Amino acid sequence: MPLSILIPMVVIGIAGIAVLLHLLGLSRPRRFDDEAAARAAWLREFPANPPARVILCHDRSAALIETVQGAGVVWPMGADSTARPLAGARIAPAAGGIIIHLPDFTAPRIRLRLDADEARQWLSKLEQTA
Amino acid sequence: MTDQITYPDVVNFAVPLFIAAILIELAWIVTKKRGGRYETRDALTSLIMGAGNVASGIVLGFVAWGFFMALWAITPLDLGTAWWVVVLCFVLDDLRYYWVHRFGHRIRWVWASHVNHHSSQHYNLTTALRQTWTGTFTFMMVVRAPLILLGFHPAMVLFVGGLNLIYQFWIHTEAIGRMPRWFEWLMNTPSHHRVHHGRNARYLDANYAGVFIIWDRLFGTFVPEQDDEKVDYGLVHNLGTFNPLRVAFHEWLAIFRDMAQPGLTLRQRLAYAVAPPGWSHDGSRQMTPEIKAAHLARHPEDAGTPGFD
Repeated sequence: MPLSILIPMVVIGIAGIAVLLHLLGLSRPRRFDDEAAARAAWLREFPANPPARVILCHDRSAALIETVQGAGVVWPMGADSTARPLAGARIAPAAGGIIIHLPDFTAPRIRLRLDADEARQWLSKLEQTA
Repeated sequence: MTDQITYPDVVNFAVPLFIAAILIELAWIVTKKRGGRYETRDALTSLIMGAGNVASGIVLGFVAWGFFMALWAITPLDLGTAWWVVVLCFVLDDLRYYWVHRFGHRIRWVWASHVNHHSSQHYNLTTALRQTWTGTFTFMMVVRAPLILLGFHPAMVLFVGGLNLIYQFWIHTEAIGRMPRWFEWLMNTPSHHRVHHGRNARYLDANYAGVFIIWDRLFGTFVPEQDDEKVDYGLVHNLGTFNPLRVAFHEWLAIFRDMAQPGLTLRQRLAYAVAPPGWSHDGSRQMTPEIKAAHLARHPEDAGTPGFD
């Protein structure tokens, strides 16, 4: 197939599908129903390191996880989730929450939406544990 | 010896069908409220990975083609282009695919290329297009060498490889449950391939087939989908990014970082490249057998069931 046909078809196809998915409301990020859901999301990634404590943020978009091996975080990846331990993390306040910088090429920066009190609380906890 | 043989570039011609099938699957899921899930950024990443795969083929395809034509120049055999030769080539190339795919899960150097195909937590037709950009660097084209040395023309080998890839497109769906029993016995199906994309301990390193599932049955890697254990898609440790560049290159970078650690022997550095994913010199990570053993320690009732036997 000539590139003059293939390239526009691919570009229009990709853009069209992405726009359609967004218009169908399929861009909404996951929210954790409760602490149990956040705990399950953590255990899905680290089944051998159960949470001792789960702190779910107010809009249920992320949770701080405390384990005997240190702190971690679970957060949405689109409609799903992932999790990382916070060893070696750099944490900084940001507009509307905090940003966690991880020494991890597959999760270099996590932006968490927290209210002002929550952000202070999380920063304090993360500075103690990360 | 035949040098001037051409076959259509079937994968490129299939692009309109891929787009149409994605739209049909999406319409089915949205209207029926079942049969799979879509998410914008996940699908966009998969589609960009697919486009990048086609682009990398255009840019780097000459490497494999040059290698194949060099083999074709030295082989004394030429099986011609009869229809039965094409069929035989398709079947033998599918056996080739099985082994390349198995190497892709058991040799970290090859996994670095293939991992991106498994990096989505979704399983829909866009996942089929989440293909590698770095396949050339795995050097797995050598596994096709026997076919060419046996007298199958390189153009035919690439043609049947394209057909193989197209076949595998439709099995990346949750919209189809199970096919008729004879078909499930012989062919790779959505059910069998869902297992392959599972990160459940039970489903790890199973069902490597491309078209014919009989290779898994033959070589002992077949695990049937269990009605009582839904497949959990993605990687053992899921990515925290949708950035296609990070998806494409993360495992290569991880290999080089691991190999560059201070204080390792040469053997350990090499093992970080060629041992199975999850290998580590100090045993701090888990490979598939350890993941399965840890699961059985938590769930001893699963011992002896499919995937744990």
